[in-house]
Amino acid sequence: MYKSFVSFLCLVCFAPLVSAAQQASKAIPDITGTWETIRDTKRVIVDEKGGARPQYQNAGAQQAKLKPEFLKEREARAKIASEADARGEPIVGRTAQCQGNGMPSMMNGTFPTEILQSKGQVTIIQEIYTQVRRIYLDKPQKKLDDIEPGFYGHSVGHWEGGVLHVDTLGIKAAWNMNTPNSDQIHIKERIYYAADGTLRDEITIEDPVVLEEPYTYTVSYRRLPDYEMLEYVCEDNHYYIDQSGKQALRPETQGK
Amino acid sequence: MSLAKHVRPVLAVLGLVIAGPALSHHSFAMYDNTRSITVKGTVSKWQWTNPHAYLEIDAPGEGGAMTHYVLEGTSINLMVRAGWRSNMIKVGDKVTAVAAPTKDGKASGLLLEVTFANGETKNMSIPEGYTFKRTP
Repeated sequence: MYKSFVSFLCLVCFAPLVSAAQQASKAIPDITGTWETIRDTKRVIVDEKGGARPQYQNAGAQQAKLKPEFLKEREARAKIASEADARGEPIVGRTAQCQGNGMPSMMNGTFPTEILQSKGQVTIIQEIYTQVRRIYLDKPQKKLDDIEPGFYGHSVGHWEGGVLHVDTLGIKAAWNMNTPNSDQIHIKERIYYAADGTLRDEITIEDPVVLEEPYTYTVSYRRLPDYEMLEYVCEDNHYYIDQSGKQALRPETQGK
Repeated sequence: MSLAKHVRPVLAVLGLVIAGPALSHHSFAMYDNTRSITVKGTVSKWQWTNPHAYLEIDAPGEGGAMTHYVLEGTSINLMVRAGWRSNMIKVGDKVTAVAAPTKDGKASGLLLEVTFANGETKNMSIPEGYTFKRTP
């Protein structure tokens, strides 16, 4: 009788703690692992000769409503690029210089994406160009002036109701894949499991300098359960770009 | 110190322009997607690197003269996921390569498939490679 009473007391006292712990663990989904972007592989454009070629674009960039002066510049840049292509002398972009995509483009996940949850941080690694971003959990966002501008910016996040809310500031001004951003760009993300079990990153881009209004797009990922991330060393290359901006053949220094 | 530099529209020179067919990383727009060339010869170089692999073949060109072809592949990461291994090709191998030629008429192109010395054919796994037409 006494034993049953003690057991009952224990149950009553500890049950809420256990259930709170369960709740807490349920509240933070396990998103650790490697992920493949779910994409529409039929994005092609048809050129003047009627030949089709793949159209690579930022997942959401086509939704960006650029202000008139940036629209105009985008057209001018596209024209210059297409003429350079026709000459067989493509314009060098970020990727040709082995600089990777930066944020937000790295979340398009050209190659597999690895997400690692550790105490106080979520680390996201994109295989192409081996790009790494870190999201600091439950920390306040810094003031823009206190952030050294970079390719990936400074990200803070917090979990709420199963959704990882992320705030990123401090991305340097650039034209990337013919889409501009100012240093005022502010990226907000909601990362969560959709009902169908896929992982979603709902990305909202705010940029009052470049955009008429913010826009939102979602990238979806499925798990790659048995995939081991590969290395990607872009600089291990046949050619390099010399000081005059011309392509030069690297002297044979390939050590094996 | 204010870091608020705005992006100003700049219609001046965009920066670097690369000469030559083989390139570190860029679009495939410089390749003709309406026809293909078949290059049958001996491998003089097989470069297994990112961003793109390169296969160089010495073969009789159009007109019969020995020509040095530089054929560009895709990322070795994509290739590995499609079952490629660096040891499938060696310098000195007799191979047949199908490629989309560069629009400038030089002896270069985008590698679409390779038939190895042992007769096996392997696709290069170019992203959306089906948009590059194969012509006899």
